[in-house]
Amino acid sequence: MLARMAANFYWLGRYAERTENTARLLEYQLTRLVDTDADELALGWRVVYRALSQSPPHAPADVDEAEAFLIADAYTLTGGLVEDTTNPASMISCWGMARENAREIRPRLPLPVWVCLNQGFLWLQETEFADAWGEGPAALVSRAIDRLRLLAGVVDANMARDDAWRFLEIGRYVERLQQQVVLLDMWDRIARPDGDGLVLSWADLLRVCGAFEPYRRDRSLTLRRSSVLGFLLRNPEVSRSVRYATDRIGSALRGIDPAGGRPPLAPPHRMVLRMAAALELDPGEEEPPPDGASGEVFESLTRDSRILHSLVQASYVDYPVAAGLPS
Amino acid sequence: MSSVKFVDHGYADPDPAISAGSGPFRHYELDSDFHDELFHEDGTPRARARRLGAALSRIPPEDLERLQDGVYRRFVHEGITFTVLGVEDVSEQIIPIDCVPRLITAEEWDHIERGLKQRLTALNLFLHDVYHDGKSLRDGIVPLDLVLGCPQYRVEMRGMKVPHDVYVAVCGTDIVRAGDTFAVLEDNLRVPSGVSYMLACRTAMKWAFPYLYRAYGVREVADYPERLYSTIASLSLTADTPRMAVLTPGRYNSAYYEHAFLAGEMGVDLVEGRDLVVHDATLYARTAAGLRRIDVLYRRIDDDFLDPVAFREDSVLGAAGLFHAYRAGNLVLANAPGTGVADDKALYAYVPRLIRYFLDEEPILANVETHLCREPDGLAYTLDNLEELVVKEVGGSGGYGMLVGPHATEAERKVFAEHLRSDPANYISQPVLPLSRAGCFVDGRLEPRHVDLRPFVLQGREEQHVVPGGLCRVALRKGSLVVNSSQGGGCKDLWILRE
Repeated sequence: MLARMAANFYWLGRYAERTENTARLLEYQLTRLVDTDADELALGWRVVYRALSQSPPHAPADVDEAEAFLIADAYTLTGGLVEDTTNPASMISCWGMARENAREIRPRLPLPVWVCLNQGFLWLQETEFADAWGEGPAALVSRAIDRLRLLAGVVDANMARDDAWRFLEIGRYVERLQQQVVLLDMWDRIARPDGDGLVLSWADLLRVCGAFEPYRRDRSLTLRRSSVLGFLLRNPEVSRSVRYATDRIGSALRGIDPAGGRPPLAPPHRMVLRMAAALELDPGEEEPPPDGASGEVFESLTRDSRILHSLVQASYVDYPVAAGLPS
Repeated sequence: MSSVKFVDHGYADPDPAISAGSGPFRHYELDSDFHDELFHEDGTPRARARRLGAALSRIPPEDLERLQDGVYRRFVHEGITFTVLGVEDVSEQIIPIDCVPRLITAEEWDHIERGLKQRLTALNLFLHDVYHDGKSLRDGIVPLDLVLGCPQYRVEMRGMKVPHDVYVAVCGTDIVRAGDTFAVLEDNLRVPSGVSYMLACRTAMKWAFPYLYRAYGVREVADYPERLYSTIASLSLTADTPRMAVLTPGRYNSAYYEHAFLAGEMGVDLVEGRDLVVHDATLYARTAAGLRRIDVLYRRIDDDFLDPVAFREDSVLGAAGLFHAYRAGNLVLANAPGTGVADDKALYAYVPRLIRYFLDEEPILANVETHLCREPDGLAYTLDNLEELVVKEVGGSGGYGMLVGPHATEAERKVFAEHLRSDPANYISQPVLPLSRAGCFVDGRLEPRHVDLRPFVLQGREEQHVVPGGLCRVALRKGSLVVNSSQGGGCKDLWILRE
């Protein structure tokens, strides 16, 4: 397939995943509005905003980040992440970018996939945020999640398992990998009791990641930091674990470039194997890192996932002409 | 939306009692100046229109409205749009679709089909002659300076062997019906567009009127992408199964949807200039697995932008060296560069002469009366009758660069007269055509509106094919004769009847 289209499929996967990630985090936070006190809500907003690499809301100069989230109202904080077209990370912007990438690959995209993506975007674009908020703060993002999962299902049902689908998969899981690592890192940093005794629940982290029930079945209801983090890092069966993402990327890469999976390894294959090895060999929950040391693991994963993105681009999209000539 | 389907009364007995000006057609006003395709002058329905009229008369207006809305929404969701570049932004628009099909009888279509084939054959022969012996020029059939002075004449094509001498593989000819006869208004020989709307309209109409469609016995157009593929592939010199691609300027082009649609339907890549590399006089596309050769390119960009080395050096839409690959015989382009010289509005006036010269036949389809302002008599006539004529730039399109005399102000006509005097060769004039009118559903009423027609003709190595249908454009504003989508026009499905 055309290199440009491979890039479009890759970015379609990334933007669709990014939109859903934002929606999931918002859904978690907005469902807590009913029964959570203001300090804990502010803490939740800090995690959401930091996990999405968003700047905190504007506040007077003498106000720190935690207080800034305490002052800001949920309507404004949510609106900035949902309907603000000037914010490139908002759901409407990301959905729009997914759609723009899809427009470029229309000849390769099954019509039902395009229609589902387009209908979802037009629905969000036409929705009056204030009206939707009036129906219930979490209603809009919940419906958005439903539509995005419908899209995933339509993709699954209609796309052949060819290179187009593989690039879409790589994009989706590179994005998931990066987002998950940042989320776990933020949660681990902020979840610990601070001076005011505030704490984020490890159960909530599992719920945000759709992993609470598998964890409860696989482990126990006794939630320990190292166990939860280990589960979300290394479990190969939970779709939002880091390990699951690296496995799926590795599998898609082997489909696209089978020769690259054998020595001498192609650079993207090498990087995925390296990340998988790092996850496998990390002592993890058997020997939990001391507080603060886990940050190094997350930093390393973040760095490697960014390099992986660059290697995919360099190998399959932006390669030098001379390297692409038929032998 | 599915409940709307049950309003289709296509199998109902044709009811001869319907008439213009009464019942559901009470707002349908006939005008003796214009041929009406649904009703005779006395208000009785034409034979072909009885079943359609009967079906429409049984549908409550609110159901017809829902049907129209359903068709519109279908286009929105499927992204059947054209792009409009504004001053500050880019917007996607839907071409308004009218849900009442236009009907052409088998006999009428046979006449059109034969005329189109004849015309394209003559134009391909003329193009070969222009770029080789120039016999028709030397014999005075067409003035030499008209050809050499035409901006679309490509001296780079002179003496060049074009595969199978097919310069124009895809042609979209604009046809109007004035009175009982059909006439050609314009030949589009470069990158004619609109075929995707023809196919989209057909899909929508089959959804909206499944029983009516079946009852009428309409000729099918769905195989167009297949025929386009085999037509263009047949021009290949190098491979039995050539690697083909569609070249588009990109997603900001107004016809991008069509480019993407055709590439998808043909199962070939949709490439942009940035995807292409020329190496060793061979064209390659950058794929995720390296460079892959392209043998045949269905290009949807103008000559000027094909190759910055050969043509416009500031073009970023084509690929450097592409024309070199073409000249070397390693690439087939459809349509060939330089075909625009034969669809110039001034040359149009000479097409009947070309048919007689090259084919020794009388033209089957007439031309519209045309006055060439490059000729003193033509200029004088045009200036004397400006308030009754339509004046067009020879290279203009899309309804721009033209003056519709009867609708223009005195000041506008004065300004245009100055243009004519200062550059007469750039203009032609034609009478205001009494375009025929077809039934439309507008603002909740069945009313007549002016229509034209763009059928598509494919010319392969050996075979010629006229698609039994076409893009039917309709001037949705009451009284308007301008059918261009940029100026309030829409489109509707065209049903060519088998019997």
